[in-house]
Amino acid sequence: MSELPLFPMQEIGSLMKPRWQLLGQRGEPLDARALDELEIWDKRLRLSEGPMAATVKSLRAGRSREAGAEAVRDLGALFALRYFESVGLDRVYDGEARRIEMYEHAIRQMRGFQFQGHVRSFDNKYYLKAAGTGEIRLDRPYHLEEFDFVRRHARATPKIPITGAYTLADWSYNEYYLSRTSGWKDRATRRSAQREFVVEIARKALRPTIAALVAAGARVIQIDEPAAGTHPDEADLVVEGFNAATDGIDAEFSMHICYSDYRDLYPALLEAKRCRQWAWEFANRDFEDRDGYAILNLLNEYGDPREVGLGVLDVHRDEVESPELVADRIRRTVRILGDPRRLWINPDCGLRTRSLDVAYAKLEAMAKGVQLARKEFAPSHR
Amino acid sequence: MQLHTGLASVFPRSEALVAATRDFDRGRTTADALEELYARTETEVLALEERLGFDTRTAGYLRWQDLFRPFAETWDGFTVGPVTRWFQTNTFFRRPVLHTPPERRPGEFAARLPKPLTGAGAATAKVLLPGPYTFAGLLDNRSGEPDSALIHRIGRLLAEEVKELRGKGYRTFQFQEPLLADRPPEGVAAESVLAAYQSVAHQLSGGTSIVWTYHGDGAAVAPLLARLSVGVVGVDLAETDVAKLPIALEHKGIGLGVVDPRTTLVEEAGEVARIVRSVRDRLHPSSIWLSNGAPIDLLPWEPATRKLHVLPAARQLLAGPDGGGRS
Repeated sequence: MSELPLFPMQEIGSLMKPRWQLLGQRGEPLDARALDELEIWDKRLRLSEGPMAATVKSLRAGRSREAGAEAVRDLGALFALRYFESVGLDRVYDGEARRIEMYEHAIRQMRGFQFQGHVRSFDNKYYLKAAGTGEIRLDRPYHLEEFDFVRRHARATPKIPITGAYTLADWSYNEYYLSRTSGWKDRATRRSAQREFVVEIARKALRPTIAALVAAGARVIQIDEPAAGTHPDEADLVVEGFNAATDGIDAEFSMHICYSDYRDLYPALLEAKRCRQWAWEFANRDFEDRDGYAILNLLNEYGDPREVGLGVLDVHRDEVESPELVADRIRRTVRILGDPRRLWINPDCGLRTRSLDVAYAKLEAMAKGVQLARKEFAPSHR
Repeated sequence: MQLHTGLASVFPRSEALVAATRDFDRGRTTADALEELYARTETEVLALEERLGFDTRTAGYLRWQDLFRPFAETWDGFTVGPVTRWFQTNTFFRRPVLHTPPERRPGEFAARLPKPLTGAGAATAKVLLPGPYTFAGLLDNRSGEPDSALIHRIGRLLAEEVKELRGKGYRTFQFQEPLLADRPPEGVAAESVLAAYQSVAHQLSGGTSIVWTYHGDGAAVAPLLARLSVGVVGVDLAETDVAKLPIALEHKGIGLGVVDPRTTLVEEAGEVARIVRSVRDRLHPSSIWLSNGAPIDLLPWEPATRKLHVLPAARQLLAGPDGGGRS
C-alpha cells in the first residue's frame, strides 16, 4: 500500500462494449460510426501502436472476419485497460469485455443450471433467468483466460470482478434444493433451501475459480453482490456465500453492493472477515437536499474499520459530476470516517450504462476531483 | 362452496414478444408488426386460460409496462418517474410521481384493457387494478395531499372506473394490494383503506371485488382484510401460513395464491387440494379462488404455463361430492 497515493482510484467492473468490438466479433465490417469510434479512441489510447496493432489494422480495412472474433475481443479488453489506465486509475480490469453480462456469463460456466427464458426487469428490458436443477458442478474454473490477458497487458494492478454466490442464487430459480424438501414450500423451507443453494454455488463454483485465479497471480478480487439488499432478512446468506467462496484463500477481497439499504445488511456484514473493503454506490442517492454519504455513519455505529470504495459517479445519469462535487463527496466522507487513508475512489457501479464518451468524462472529473481532495488532505498523505 | 380458478396478475410475455419489443425499441421492427404480435399473443393467453378451465379471463395484460402505468398515463396529475425496485424482487416499476391531486379522464383506462376482454369478453374478464393503498403508498406524492386522504381519493377514482366498466359489462375486479401484506396500515391509514373499498363497493352493483395480497404475510393483515367491503380476499401462500388465517375471515370469499412464481418447481396438486380442504373446513368460505400468489410474470412464459396446470389438477381432486375428502 505504501506506493499508492492518497485516495487511490479504481473502477468497478463493466464498460460499454465499443461498437467496433460488437460488429468486429460478429465478423461484420465496421460501419462509418464504428470506424469513427475506433479512430477517436485510437488517437487517445494509441491502440494501433500496441500489441494488437494488426487487429486494429484489419478492422480499419473492413476485414473483421479475417481479424477473428477472439482477437477482436482481445482488442476490446486491451481498449478497456488503456481506457481506465489513461485516466490514472490505480486498479483496472478489462471492462468485462469478454462477458455477456455478470449473471448469464457466470451461470454458463457451471453445470446444474438450465436457462428458462426471459423475465421482464421493467418496461421492455428483460434478463435471461436460469433454474438450479441439479448439483452444482464446474468443469473448470472460469475467468482465467481473461485474467491471463489482463495480467500480461495491464500497467496498473488488476482487480477482478466476480459475481457473488448470493447474487447468482437470488437471480436464479432454486428448483433442485427446494425439491429435496417435502411438503409445502413455506418461507422457512425456502430460506433453508436458498442457504444450501448459495453455499453450494460458493463452494463448488466460486471458490475453485477464485483459488485458480490466485494461483495464476491474482491478488485483488472484488465480489459483486448487487442482489445483497433485495431480501433484508437474507443478509446473513450474503455473508455466508462470501465466506464460503473465499475460505482459506489469501488475497485482497472487496465486496461491491449497490442500490441497497446498507443499514439492512448490518450487523451481518461484520462477519465477512476476509473482506477488506466495501465498494458501494452513494452518488445515485446524493442530492442537494439529501446527503447520500451520511449512511457511512453506519460503519462508525458498528465499529466497522474497513476501507471504503467510495462511489462518487452516478452511473445512471449522463450529467458529468464536477471535480468540485467529487472533492466535496470525499470531504464529507472523511468527516464521517476520520481517516482519509480508508478511502478508495470509484464510480458507483459498472459504467456500462453510459456511453464511452460520457463514462470517460465522468472518470476524468473523478480524477480531477481526487487531485483537489489530495491537496486538501496532503498532511495526512499515506 | 364455489371453487374458482384463474390468473391473479399480468402474464409473462412470450419469447417472441420479448424479442419483438426489444426490436421495436431498437428500431428493428414496426409498430404494426408489434401490434399484430401482441394481438396474437393475447389470443394465445386466452386460449391457455380456456384450456385450463379458468373461470375468469385476462388475456395476459401483456401491454401493461407495470401495474400503475395505465393510470399514471391516463389520469391527470401524474408523470412517470424513476425505475424503482418492486418489493423484494429483481424486477422494477416506474414510480408514478403525483404533482397535483389526481383526476381521471373517463374512458381512457377502459381503453387500456386487453381487446379480447372487451364486448362479449367482458362478462368473464377479470379487471386488474392497483389497490388504493398500494397505489398511494408506492407513488411519489408531491401533491400536498396527506397520504391517508390520498388513499381514499384514489379509492373514489377507482370506484368511478369500476362504475364505468360495470356499464360496459365487466363483473370481476381484482385490486392488487401487495403493500397491505408488506406494510400493514395502522390508524388513520387503515381507516382510509376501509373507506376506499367502501367507495368501490358502492359502485359494484352486483359485481365481484377481490383484494389480492402478496409479497408478505396475509395473516398479519387478515383482521383488516376481514373488515374490507369486498367479496374475496386473497393471500400468497408462499408467504402466509393458512393455519394462521383468523376466524374473522369466516364465510368470506378466500383467494389462495398456491402457485409460487419465485420457483420453477411445480406445486403438487395433492398438496394444493389438502390446503384448500383445510381452509374450507376451518373458515367455511363462501368461495375459494385458486391462483398464483405473487405475479406470475416473475417467471418466463414456458415455466409459468407449466406451473399453472396444477390449478385444474387440484380442482379435479376437489371435485368429489364432499370436495374430494376431508382435510
